[in-house]
Amino acid sequence: MKKSTAEESRSHKAQVVVDRLGKKLNRQIVGSMVACVHCGLCTDSCHYVLSNPGDPTYAPAYKADRIRKIFKRHYDWTGRVFPWLVGAKTVMTDEELEELKDISFGKCTNCRRCSLNCPMGVDFATMNRMTRGLLVSVGIMPEGVATVSKDQWELGNQMGVLKEDYLETLEWMEEELQDELDDPSAKIPVDKEDCAVVYSINPREAKYDPRTIGDAAKIFHAAGEDWTMPSDGWDMTNFGLFSGDDELGGAVARHLFDRVQELGGKKLVISECGHGYRSTRCEAPNWAKYDVPFEMESSVETMLRYVKEGRIKLDKTRNSKPVTFHDSCNLARSCGITEEPRELLNLVCTDFREMYPNREENYCCTGGGGAMSMSEYTPRRLKSGKVKAEQLKATGAKVVVTSCHNCVDGLTDVIRHYELDMEVTQLVNLVAEALVIEKPARVPTVVEDLPLAGRRIVVADDEPDQLLYLATVMEDYGATVYQAASGDEALTLVRKEKPDLVTLDLAMPGRPVTEIYEVLRSDSELEGLKICIITGRPEMRELIYQRMETPPDGYLDKPLSEDDLLRGVRKVLELSHQEV
Amino acid sequence: MVTAEVETEQIQLIKGDITLLEVDALVFYAEPNLELGSGFGTAISIRGGPTVKKELERLGPVGTGEAVVSGAGNLKASYIIHAVGPRFQEENTEEKLKTTILNSLRCAEEAGAKTIAFPPMGTGFYGIPLDLCSRLLVELVSDHLKTSASLKEVIICVQDAREFEPFRKELSKVTG
Ligand code: SF4
Ligand code: SF4
Repeated sequence: MKKSTAEESRSHKAQVVVDRLGKKLNRQIVGSMVACVHCGLCTDSCHYVLSNPGDPTYAPAYKADRIRKIFKRHYDWTGRVFPWLVGAKTVMTDEELEELKDISFGKCTNCRRCSLNCPMGVDFATMNRMTRGLLVSVGIMPEGVATVSKDQWELGNQMGVLKEDYLETLEWMEEELQDELDDPSAKIPVDKEDCAVVYSINPREAKYDPRTIGDAAKIFHAAGEDWTMPSDGWDMTNFGLFSGDDELGGAVARHLFDRVQELGGKKLVISECGHGYRSTRCEAPNWAKYDVPFEMESSVETMLRYVKEGRIKLDKTRNSKPVTFHDSCNLARSCGITEEPRELLNLVCTDFREMYPNREENYCCTGGGGAMSMSEYTPRRLKSGKVKAEQLKATGAKVVVTSCHNCVDGLTDVIRHYELDMEVTQLVNLVAEALVIEKPARVPTVVEDLPLAGRRIVVADDEPDQLLYLATVMEDYGATVYQAASGDEALTLVRKEKPDLVTLDLAMPGRPVTEIYEVLRSDSELEGLKICIITGRPEMRELIYQRMETPPDGYLDKPLSEDDLLRGVRKVLELSHQEV
Repeated sequence: MVTAEVETEQIQLIKGDITLLEVDALVFYAEPNLELGSGFGTAISIRGGPTVKKELERLGPVGTGEAVVSGAGNLKASYIIHAVGPRFQEENTEEKLKTTILNSLRCAEEAGAKTIAFPPMGTGFYGIPLDLCSRLLVELVSDHLKTSASLKEVIICVQDAREFEPFRKELSKVTG
C-alpha cells in the first residue's frame, strides 16, 4: 500500500507510536478519550495544579488533551472528518514525542485523584499509563525509568540488588534478631517449602532499609508463623505499573507467582508497598495471564489478623508520639485498603490523628508513579509537594506512618524540603516496637565486644554539629574516627590513614563530592575501601537512581538516629560481595 | 542454577545468571557508548570489578550490529563480548539482530574461545520479541557450529520459564 505524504515524513518512532496506540485501545481507554466535556471539575483535584496556581499546563484535562488529540486524529471519526473542530492533531517528530514524555512522566504521578471528581468517568491516569508504555516501547523515557526497568528485567528486582547481597542481608537481619531476642530459634527461613506464608518485599528494604525486614521477621517469629522468603523471585514491586510496560509487568509477576508455586507456599504476603500490592494483587494476574492458585494479602492485613487471632500482643504505650497516617494512592484509591491500617494504628499507638483529606481522597506523596526515579523532575516534584506539606503540618503529628515504600521516600523529601518537624515510618516498625514478647530481651553486658571495635573510619561532613554527632556515635561503639570537614580533607586523611570506611556528606564546600568519590574509587592503593554516602538532600535520589558503575557501598539518609547510623555502618562494613 | 533440559551436542539451554557462568566468553547486549549501565551491567561492574569499565573507555563507541571484546575482571568468564544490537522497535530489527549475533560469534572465534554464553539477545528491556530472538539465535548458532574453528560449546542462559519455553521449542527443531 502506498504511504500518504504525512506517513512518509513522520519519524519512525512517531509512526510506531501511532500504530501501537491503535492496538492498545480498549473500551475503558476509548471511553476516557471521548468522554471529556472539559468542565474543569477535575482541575483542583491535582496536587500539581494546587501547588502551581496559574499554570494551566498542569490541569488534568489539558494533559489528557495532548494524548487525546492523537487518538482523535487517527482513531475517531470526528477527528478524521473535522480535525479543526475537535482539536485532532497527529504526531510527526521525535521532538513531539519528547514533549509528550515531559507531560506523561514529568507532570503526573498517575495518582488517580482527578478521576474521583470526573462526572464523565474519565480515568486520565490509565490513559497516561498507556502513553508512557507507548513511549517506552520506542525508547523514549526518563533515564531513571530506563535504569530501573532494565534492572527489573535482567536482575529480577528494580534496585539492582544482587542475589548474594540480598541473602547476606537476610542472614545479617537474622543474626540481629537472634541477638535482640536472645533466641537462636528466631530465624529468617529461606526457600523453605510448603509454608503457610511466603513473604515478598520491596528491594528498597534489602538495599536501604533492612530494619523493615528484621521487624517483619520479629513479628512472624512472635506470631509463631510458618513462613519463608524466596532466594529468587522475592521482589513484589513492579515497575511495569509505572512505565506502562505490560510485558515487564507480566514477566515480573510471573516470576514471583512461579516461585511461590515452586515453594508450595499457601499464601503470598506482600510487605507494605502501595504499587507492589496493586500490581501483584490486582493488575498482574491480568498482565501475566496467570490464574493465581494461592491467596495474597498485604502485610497490614497479616499483622492485624495476628492481633485479632491473639497471636501477637501489643503494648501501644511504647509508641506515644502523635502519629498521623498517609494513605498511599495505590492502596487506598485503587485497592480500597483504608480501614485495616487505621484499625491497626489504634492498637499500636496512643495518639493517632487523621490527616485531611484522607482515605481515597488523600493527596499523592508526590513520589508516586515512579517519580522518585526521575531525577530530572525533582524540582517540579518538590514544588508540587506544597499541598502535601500543608496537609502534614496541619495534623500537628510528629510521626507520619504510611504503608508504602515509595511514599516513605516521597514524604521524606517533602518533609525536608518544607522543613517540617516530622519523621516517616511504617506500620511494621510500630508493630515491632510495640510487640510484647514473653521472654525478656537480654540486657547487653559490658563485656561484649563493641560492634565497631577495631574499625577505622574517616567521617566527612562540613556541618560541625553533624560531624561531631557522627564521630561520637561511631567512637562510642568502638571505632577509631578521623574527622574531615571537606572532600579534600577526607581524601588526604584516607590516603594517610588507610581506613576501613569513609563516610561522605554530599554537599560539602570545595571540590564536588562526586569528583572526590571518583578519585577514591580509581586509586588502586585504596581497593578495599568502603564508601558510604550520608546526606540529607533530595539529590540523594539522583545518586541512587544513577546506578553508578562502581556504586557506593551504602547510602544513609539524614537525619539519622543512633540505631540507624550504627546499623547502616555495620551493614557497609560487615557485608562483602561474596559470590553465590 | 538449573541445567539444561534440552541440549544438542553443542548447545545447552540453561536457567541461571549469565554473569556467574564459567565460560570463555559471555555476551552482553550493550549500548553504543559501551556504558555498562544497570541490569546485567550492574552485575558485571560489581562482580567483575572496575577493570572492565576502564577497558571499555577506549573501545567505544560502537555501531549497531557490531561487537567488541573486553576482559571480564573478576568474573569466572575470561572475556565479555559487548554486542550492540537493535533497540526499541528500530527499523530492520531482524536484519540488525542477525548481524549482531554473527559478529558476536566472530569475536568469540577471534578470541579463540571454546565456550560462549548468550543471553536472550535484546529481549526484555530492549523489546526484541522472544520468538524472533529464539529463532534467530538457535538458527545462527547451530549453523555456525557446523564450521566453527574454536567454538565447541554454546550456552543459552535464560532467567525463567517464560524465557525458557521459546528457546526450548526452537532447539527441539534443531535436535529433530
Ligand atoms: S492522576 Fe494525579 S497527578 Fe495525574 S493529573 Fe490526575 S490528579 Fe494530577
Ligand atoms: S472532570 Fe472529567 S469531563 Fe471534566 S474536564 Fe476533567 S476529565 Fe474532562
